[in-house]
Amino acid sequence: MKTFLPLILPLSVLAACQAQDTPQTTSDEATVAFPSTYTPQPSADVVLRNAKIIDGVSNEIREGDVLISGGKIGFVGAGDVPAGTDEIDVEGRFVTPGIIDIHSHLGNYPSPGVTAHGDGNEVTSPITSEVSAEHGVWPQDPGFDEALQGGVTTLHILPGSANLFGGRGVTLRNMPSRTVQGMKFPDAPYTLKMACGENPKRVYGSKGGPGSRMGNVSGYRKNWIKATQYKAKRDKGGDYDRDLQLETLADVLDGKILIQMHCYRADEMIQILDIAKEFDYKVTTFHHAVEAYKIAPELAASDTCAAMWADWGAFKMESFDYINENVPFVHAAGACAMIHSDDQNNIQRLNQEVAKTWADGNRAGLNITKAEAWKWLSTNPAKALGILDETGTLEAGKRADIVIWEGDPFSTYGRPSKVMLDGAVLFDRETGLKPKSDFRLGYADFTEASK
Amino acid sequence: MRTLLLTSVLAFAATPVFAQTLFLDDATVVDAKGEKSTADLIVTDGVIIQQAATLNAPGGASSVEGAWVTSGLFAPMSSLGLTDIGSGGPGNDAASEDSLTNVSERVADSFNPRSIHIDNVRQSGITHALVAPRSGSGSIFAGTGAIVSLTGKFDSVLISDAFVMVELGETGTRRAGGSRAAAMAQLRAAIDDADGFFKRYADSPDGGDILSRQDALAFNRATRGDIPLVVRVDRAADIMRVIDIKKDNRSLDIIIVGAAEAWEVADEIAANNVRVILDPLHNLPETFESVGARLDNVMFLKNAGVDFAFSNLGALGVTKPATLAQHAGGAVVEGLSWADAFASISAIPASWFGVEDETTVVWDGDPLEVTSAPISMSINGAPQSMTSRQKALRDRYNPTNTDKRPHKYR
Repeated sequence: MKTFLPLILPLSVLAACQAQDTPQTTSDEATVAFPSTYTPQPSADVVLRNAKIIDGVSNEIREGDVLISGGKIGFVGAGDVPAGTDEIDVEGRFVTPGIIDIHSHLGNYPSPGVTAHGDGNEVTSPITSEVSAEHGVWPQDPGFDEALQGGVTTLHILPGSANLFGGRGVTLRNMPSRTVQGMKFPDAPYTLKMACGENPKRVYGSKGGPGSRMGNVSGYRKNWIKATQYKAKRDKGGDYDRDLQLETLADVLDGKILIQMHCYRADEMIQILDIAKEFDYKVTTFHHAVEAYKIAPELAASDTCAAMWADWGAFKMESFDYINENVPFVHAAGACAMIHSDDQNNIQRLNQEVAKTWADGNRAGLNITKAEAWKWLSTNPAKALGILDETGTLEAGKRADIVIWEGDPFSTYGRPSKVMLDGAVLFDRETGLKPKSDFRLGYADFTEASK
Repeated sequence: MRTLLLTSVLAFAATPVFAQTLFLDDATVVDAKGEKSTADLIVTDGVIIQQAATLNAPGGASSVEGAWVTSGLFAPMSSLGLTDIGSGGPGNDAASEDSLTNVSERVADSFNPRSIHIDNVRQSGITHALVAPRSGSGSIFAGTGAIVSLTGKFDSVLISDAFVMVELGETGTRRAGGSRAAAMAQLRAAIDDADGFFKRYADSPDGGDILSRQDALAFNRATRGDIPLVVRVDRAADIMRVIDIKKDNRSLDIIIVGAAEAWEVADEIAANNVRVILDPLHNLPETFESVGARLDNVMFLKNAGVDFAFSNLGALGVTKPATLAQHAGGAVVEGLSWADAFASISAIPASWFGVEDETTVVWDGDPLEVTSAPISMSINGAPQSMTSRQKALRDRYNPTNTDKRPHKYR
């Protein structure tokens, strides 16, 4: 493998981590709980020359340049380079948007997976829309660091799927940080995790219910009725008792919070879409959606996204009908398809997961380009998280969340060489720059000594 | 990157038609050691009819460029044929929680060759698998494992008493009652029971320290070294305890599975002829016993001369072996030769258990590439179906399917 010039990082970069916890001041700061303190690391203005660019929009540029200026993307393909801009010849390497994982439990089911670390499921009631995943995220999960090395620049942490209404999900920049606020994607909408099927009825079947899919559906509807009443009170503007549980649901009805719903079976997803019509809210994304391929046209018609695995299934009845072509089949119907990990290992190789399912789809007779398939890795997850105007594609003005690859990202042998958030290199395979969780200390020192 | 004549390949890949002859133009042929050469081949239903430097395409054959021809893959750790779904139903035979027996429980008695997962997994080029039980409550002994072929036929259990499975580490600790010391005491006592079988149980079925008579008899084959003892263990210190057991019982033939921290004691593993099944993609400290997990674990083992095979232990689901080749490819990224990586999921584990079946898999590209898939397979000259329940579902719901009848009629 040929080497190329490493990006020069200012020495101040790592020291600057110390200063990142300065809260952003916004006009409605007083009403914002747990505001983001995310601050990009310093970055150099640089133009990447001779890149093979997949932009996430649908294009593959065989040989082009990418300008990064002030942490933003200046241009993609060709354009004017301001004087004094550093220049890096990437020698034909793939340059892509940073990967976005819409379904992760890093931090709320961290490594090591001891009982004391199980902070992802508030398994005390089937209705816990008052809790928020961000309060269960341990920023020292070594999984964040490994995911960064796999090209993941943004990830969405969701509560687990034990409950009908599981709680709020939070979108994080994959920025090494001491606090979750230091990772929070500024102004990204919250989401609400909901769950279909086997999990809620299994967990609560002997604890007062729901004990069946019928109970699941009545549980959703009862609470949407309450939320509708709460919202009406809130909309009136007079005095009302603030209720965290109903506040989340009312924010969904107001379109401020996006629903991310764990649902495997085709028939169940259609039931859920009917409930959404009944109470006038939107399901943004079905997660796992193992049978999404069976209702791909309906997902397209209702503008509902599906986040899926490449080849996981049969671990329970509702995942029995998994096929390896789920993602491309949903895509081919014109629906918003994407990959997701739900796993601390797969998140490190989401590009390979996409490569597998992309190849299987084309083998089944589809004709999807790599540039199209890339949308499953960053564009569609960004859309489903409400952050596509800021990241997810390489387009002028967006955050410079960029991966430079060794080899082909659609290959077993391809892997990230450099990963940038807001133009700042946070992982560099050649210089050895990478974050190390507090948890790794001591163990890691021993590892190095043994080499 | 492969360049396929897609029209001809798809025509048969999508349908279970047999008597299909392929002409493989300039195929990459991989031998048992994983070494590559180039040849033209004529393959009918997965069976190589002719192979030479240059051949003419026979009439009626579909021509395939960029194909690879290898032996079948051997998954060295799986629960294939033991479960239909992972959880939430009966028919999961991966472990027995409340049984009166342990070592003498043979997974061969649970194995269902008609499991749909056999068909599904065979589509990823796997022709053979080790099938292992997991331990239940009360004993570190999971039972006696089997070696199977993935023909789906009732004679597909090749070795019904292939090895004895033991779980140490955190799982074994739990099984033994709460400490590593208890797990090790159980293992040592069981070895003594099996070694002294004829003396201890001559007069009474209760003559053993810890094993019942039938379990001691079943374990005796492993303590004599006739079959391997497969031990699940990750922590380096625990691996050293296993090596101590080996030093005290030289006849034991030990294979360790997991081995996240094997790199720390690679020389000791090699010196004591302990073999290793590891996941080359394991790098997270998911437990306190795997805090040393790292991607280049395999390179330490290679450099120390350890005999190893690969599994995808971290992948989810009962179809565990399906992503075996992807995990082996991860070792190549870490610096292992392609030949060694391929052998570690084929000839090496096959040789451990003396499996000599003739297998052929024709792939549409490098088998370790995530974008590749088999297009034709045979086992001992018998064509293997390239269909599965997954492919039937795929075909019914394929967006290119022009059948507009209701789905249940397609």
